[in-house]
Amino acid sequence: MANTTVVLDNGAYTAKVGLANEDEPQVIPNCIMKAKSERRRVFVGNQIDECRDTSALYYILCFQRGYLLNWDTQKTVWDHIFSKDGIGCSLENRSIVITEPQMNFHSVQEAMLEMLFEEYRVAGLYKTTSAELAAFNYVADSEERTTMQSLNCIIIDVGYSFTHVVPFVLGRRVLEGIRRIDVGGKALTNHLKELISYRHLNVMDESHVVNQIKEDVCFVAEDFKNAMRVHECDKKRKEIAVDYVLPDFTTCKRGYIRMPGQPREEEEHQQMVPLCNERFTVPELLFNPSDIGIQQVGIPEAVVDALKACPWEAHRELLLNILIVGGSAQFPGFLPRLKRDLRSLVPDDLEVSLICPEDPVRYAWYGGKEVATSVNFEEFVYTREEYDEYGIHGLHQR
Amino acid sequence: MSARIKDAEKKRVLDGAARQRRARKALEALEQDNFHDDPHADLVMSKKLPKFQDSIKSGKEKKGKRKGAEYFRAKYRKNFQQLLEEDKQQPNYVSAAAPPPKNPVRHFCAVCGNFSQYSCTACGTRYCRVRCLRTHQDTRCLKWTA
Repeated sequence: MANTTVVLDNGAYTAKVGLANEDEPQVIPNCIMKAKSERRRVFVGNQIDECRDTSALYYILCFQRGYLLNWDTQKTVWDHIFSKDGIGCSLENRSIVITEPQMNFHSVQEAMLEMLFEEYRVAGLYKTTSAELAAFNYVADSEERTTMQSLNCIIIDVGYSFTHVVPFVLGRRVLEGIRRIDVGGKALTNHLKELISYRHLNVMDESHVVNQIKEDVCFVAEDFKNAMRVHECDKKRKEIAVDYVLPDFTTCKRGYIRMPGQPREEEEHQQMVPLCNERFTVPELLFNPSDIGIQQVGIPEAVVDALKACPWEAHRELLLNILIVGGSAQFPGFLPRLKRDLRSLVPDDLEVSLICPEDPVRYAWYGGKEVATSVNFEEFVYTREEYDEYGIHGLHQR
Repeated sequence: MSARIKDAEKKRVLDGAARQRRARKALEALEQDNFHDDPHADLVMSKKLPKFQDSIKSGKEKKGKRKGAEYFRAKYRKNFQQLLEEDKQQPNYVSAAAPPPKNPVRHFCAVCGNFSQYSCTACGTRYCRVRCLRTHQDTRCLKWTA
């Protein structure tokens, strides 16, 4: 029996990694961080948990514009992940299921293969995209459908660097139908950072803290115009206005929303940011990137545009199986809003049904686990023998 | 010459190209990983610091076929633009981009975030009322321009 396969969903912000026989993956920041307070060391991956003061955290990311370009950073992080501090075993003589972005560049694929086969000595690899793994998990999860070959679905992957709409017809990606929107978690955090810095206090250096603010307070407005009206009305304003208490890294490590009417003593000395329309205008960029001048349609229109590239016979089923994955899918209100917008865009004889899994971040990893433990996994794997013989070209001819 | 005309001539007005350049810069800022400089940039590593992790055994292993991060940095040093130019797949990164919007673009006040109807005559930034315009002129308008 061969060594257990490793599944690595290598995202631009976090890597989801674990052995295929484990129940759930570890979510590890896929970057190196430097803190102002600790000048003697850097923090690789989840070492950041050891850092007491994460103010003005400096990121060195492996990904640029969503593609793996900084290989020395990536190698440092992988070295950390595949050590005792990470998942506790090395990649040597193991197979790996690894994800790459949609439309990955040829040269990046080549680098990945060389790195894994020659640096880490993997026994074989199955290179795929997180959307495909998500689709695989969707098949495994559903009760009535049992084969990948009959699957028609649309995966919306709302990631860190960008958002992809990926249609699948009869279990295969429709490459012509893939649509990319250049808005993801990173752009949202940076946008929120600018808004707070201009309106309240300068947080331009605090990507880490603002990212937490975004996770804690932002939501998607189901009716944007109505939410704006609430914001403008002095009486109703308090429905959405909140005060966010910033962390000071001595008494509190992570910021939180102040509960109205329940003042706590220690809050007197804490810095606070009042937030109101920032809460919903920031995630709104996913639905209307043109609000900040990105000349692209939002997710609902991108879905409709992707649909046009698919055979019309599949449309009914595609719209019934829309799956949303990725970290930025976790904004409250995301699903109802998308459903509402899609409903008004597609013909009314077609039903629209959306699914957002409980854990959209790890969902693709679970798919990878399913693939790695399936009976015909061997057929997917590109082995080291094949790599030694044919190099990268062998993988492309499969 | 009347004082009003003198005033108007003094005022610098950004032309269309400059406004576009500004907008493009704002979008590029959204892609930045960090706004500030490396906090360890001025750090000089002390040579006296002993390195505990390097045992003799791991030193021997490294002499083998491992090439190290440096090798990969040297071999795959292409940046995003270069990759984009040499990409010959079909469909590719460029063709996968979502199409431009068909609906009219909404405008928001740069100061408070409300829907905006007016734009600053000098730089074209949107605002919603006189109060916001004043804030804009005091803090932003043509102040941080390159």
